[in-house]
Amino acid sequence: MAFYQKEGVLKDGTRVILRPMTAEDRDKLIDFFKRVDEHDLMFLRSDVRDPAVIDDWVKNIDYHRVFPLLAEVDGKIVGDATLHMRKVGWKRHLGNVRVVVAKEYQNKGLGTLLVNEIVELAAEFGLEKLVAEIHLQAPAAIALFKKAGFAAKAVFEDLVKDPTGKKGDLLVMVCDVQGRDRGA
Amino acid sequence: MRLALISDIHSNLEALESVLRQIEKEDVDVILNLGDLVGYNASPNECLELLQEKPVLSLAGNHDLALLEVNRAQHFNIIAYQAILWSREQIKPEFLHFFRSLPLTREGQGFLACHGTPSSAEAYIVFHFQGKRVFNYMRHLSHVQVCFFGHTHKRALWFRDIRGKIATLPIAREKMVLDRTCLYLINPGSVGQPRDGNPEAAYAIFDDEEFSVHFKSVPYDIKSAQQRILKAGLPEFLAERLAQGI
Repeated sequence: MAFYQKEGVLKDGTRVILRPMTAEDRDKLIDFFKRVDEHDLMFLRSDVRDPAVIDDWVKNIDYHRVFPLLAEVDGKIVGDATLHMRKVGWKRHLGNVRVVVAKEYQNKGLGTLLVNEIVELAAEFGLEKLVAEIHLQAPAAIALFKKAGFAAKAVFEDLVKDPTGKKGDLLVMVCDVQGRDRGA
Repeated sequence: MRLALISDIHSNLEALESVLRQIEKEDVDVILNLGDLVGYNASPNECLELLQEKPVLSLAGNHDLALLEVNRAQHFNIIAYQAILWSREQIKPEFLHFFRSLPLTREGQGFLACHGTPSSAEAYIVFHFQGKRVFNYMRHLSHVQVCFFGHTHKRALWFRDIRGKIATLPIAREKMVLDRTCLYLINPGSVGQPRDGNPEAAYAIFDDEEFSVHFKSVPYDIKSAQQRILKAGLPEFLAERLAQGI
């Protein structure tokens, strides 16, 4: 896929480049995940501080399966949102979205910018709904997804565990992506 | 009067040629283009040249407006955004006057035409509340019984009966004779980037005397359109989707 990008502006006026991840992003990603809050790493599926994980990501980019959207400021990655898709099966019309933002760029509207872009891309890819799984004790993340048009659909009590083994509740939020009155 | 309805050509020359060849056989009085001549695909100038050879009434879509004013594309996703930037670079300066002259809506005998909705080229008619909003607007226009629209790239036929019930009807392959006591919203689908799973170029024929609509589609040289996209350096996904009709 060709390299392309778009500019966005954060609440404090910072200009951010949004673009898909490419194979050349390995070192930038390793640097980015060093700047992600330790607490936020708990919500990720992979050990992103292991360079082998990043190597695997950049060597196996498949935009049809996972569309990784990066936010960049002055050549540094400051946010990463991923849209996960399936081409077949009973969930082929659904996408899952995950987002992680560098600690120093939190509360600046970057998460909202990334998720809004993922919602627009999901509509472009022909998906109908997006699903996000969020820890119930993560109010900032819940507010972010609400702002992007997601609604809370279910809470699974004591379903997830933090690194210490303490149980937590998982919130599932869903967003209709077609027919939103703002996209292309 | 027989109208050929076309929409969302999106710079797909092969699809437009195919549709116009079919329309020539249809004995129509006029062709109504519901907007978005540019964006996504790779032949904006060629499509406009072809359209100008025919008796076509056009109106502005959100991509046509973004071609003139890039700020309007700020909320486009990065793929659509990239494509409109490319169109802005490619479009011949002498064609800009055509886009500046496009109205947002058109009215004819008993019908209203728009891209998204009568009040916005960017708004959609997908959900019930969105259809209802447009029907409520139409009820204040005593002479308008049908509103033609595009933007979603999916064929649709909405009705509002005399009791106020609003719903969509399944799209039939055959000609559909409409009820003169109802109001209708009709979307012919997209010529250049259909998204309803059928990759053929979509259009429709509306006959106001018979009060009927016939949704049609025609195959075209998708491979050639895809090659143009890839050659232009536009996102690969824009080529892939044409074969899938998404």
